[in-house]
Amino acid sequence: MSPKRKISLTEEELVLALRNREKIAADALYDMYSSSLFGVISRIITDTAIAEDVLQETFIKIWNSFSSYSAEKGRLFTWMVNIARNLSIDKVRSKDFKNQSKNHELENNVTFIDEQRNTVYKPELLGLKDLVDKLKPEQKIILELVYFKGYTHVEVSEELDVPLGTVKTRLRMAIIELRKYFN
Amino acid sequence: MEDVKAYIETGILELYVLGELSQDEKNQVEEMASKHPQIKAEIAEIERSLEAYAAANAVEPPEQLRDKVLNSLLTTFADDSKFPSREFLENDIDDEVDEAVNDNVVPLPVAKSGSFYKYAFAACLAALIASIAAIYSLNERLNESYGQIASLQQRNQTFASRVNYMQGEIDIFHDPTFKLVKLQGTPKTPASQLTVAWNPVKKKVMIDMQAMKLAANDEAHQYQLWAIVNGKPVDLGVFDAKPDSTGMIEMNPVANAAAFAVTLEKRGGVPSPTMSQMVVIATI
Repeated sequence: MSPKRKISLTEEELVLALRNREKIAADALYDMYSSSLFGVISRIITDTAIAEDVLQETFIKIWNSFSSYSAEKGRLFTWMVNIARNLSIDKVRSKDFKNQSKNHELENNVTFIDEQRNTVYKPELLGLKDLVDKLKPEQKIILELVYFKGYTHVEVSEELDVPLGTVKTRLRMAIIELRKYFN
Repeated sequence: MEDVKAYIETGILELYVLGELSQDEKNQVEEMASKHPQIKAEIAEIERSLEAYAAANAVEPPEQLRDKVLNSLLTTFADDSKFPSREFLENDIDDEVDEAVNDNVVPLPVAKSGSFYKYAFAACLAALIASIAAIYSLNERLNESYGQIASLQQRNQTFASRVNYMQGEIDIFHDPTFKLVKLQGTPKTPASQLTVAWNPVKKKVMIDMQAMKLAANDEAHQYQLWAIVNGKPVDLGVFDAKPDSTGMIEMNPVANAAAFAVTLEKRGGVPSPTMSQMVVIATI
């Protein structure tokens, strides 16, 4: 899409460069992860301008608090996406945001986003519909609520009126389907 | 080993990856992971699949955002490099992600963009209303001006035609070929008077209504001007005498006349004059 070549490093190289606070680390970080992070942020926050602000805040936090990331405890993206999700949820739940946001029906949210924005074209995405079809509706809604709406499993349990244990099981089953699909 | 499998099946690892556990629960999971490679592998699998899922649902941010974000990183990079020890000190005390993150929170002015647009919109609206009001009042004044111009033009035209007309009258008096013939009252009407301006060259005959002294005619009658040509009366047209008559009126043309006379006839005139009704006469 961009005429510029995007910088891509291995995760180990990137982590090392980030620790040394090299400029190339910032470029690579953005090029490798901005669209994935923005995908999550913009599903939680439908207002484009606010979603862009939150993406910027996310990168600033990643950059500034990188020393607290430990590769021992998990993958870089897992750490980053949790920062992005927490910032997004904070924004959505802030008084400021509530006053101006329009509420969209949850079920329609993903299609709404996809209609609004240019989703990145990825060859493997062609099969994504199969994946979504494989997921049972109750798995799909839990994955959606937790991953793209930032609900805690306790909130999901209340929202869907199912026991906490069931929420955990369904979430696990949904992620197992993802694993089968992606691995 | 059964314990490990049961532990995995509770779904706690998924919640761990999603960042949903309390600090105690997290520590517990991390301890289990360090003891059991199977749990560590399971966590890695969950992470990879969720990362792939996010990548499959990626949304490309607008292109211009890249520079904005990278510039803001480099700005904080420059700031941090001046005080490199601060961050490490704080993070050594507490390496929990969220708290470390909160320690470094930089409030962003961009967060106010929503209310900025709100105010900008209000300002635009106010400017629009003011503009419409200004246009409306200007338009009123423009229309008013148009009306004034139109009435001035009309007056100007009236004056111009009056000047033209009067110029024509003056020309008559200045033109040496015009003869001014003063018709005097007959014994029956001694006070009557009429001036006829006659140009034998151009055959033009005018009567001066301003200086006319004739009794006002009624609705049924009109004055008729005659010229005596070769001893015969020739009809030069009819006219009305009113107390407020002004200017000059042009009558029928005649080339050679021995005399001019006016008789009072029935409205519209008659073919030959009624001599008893003659009011003024002049021979040349």
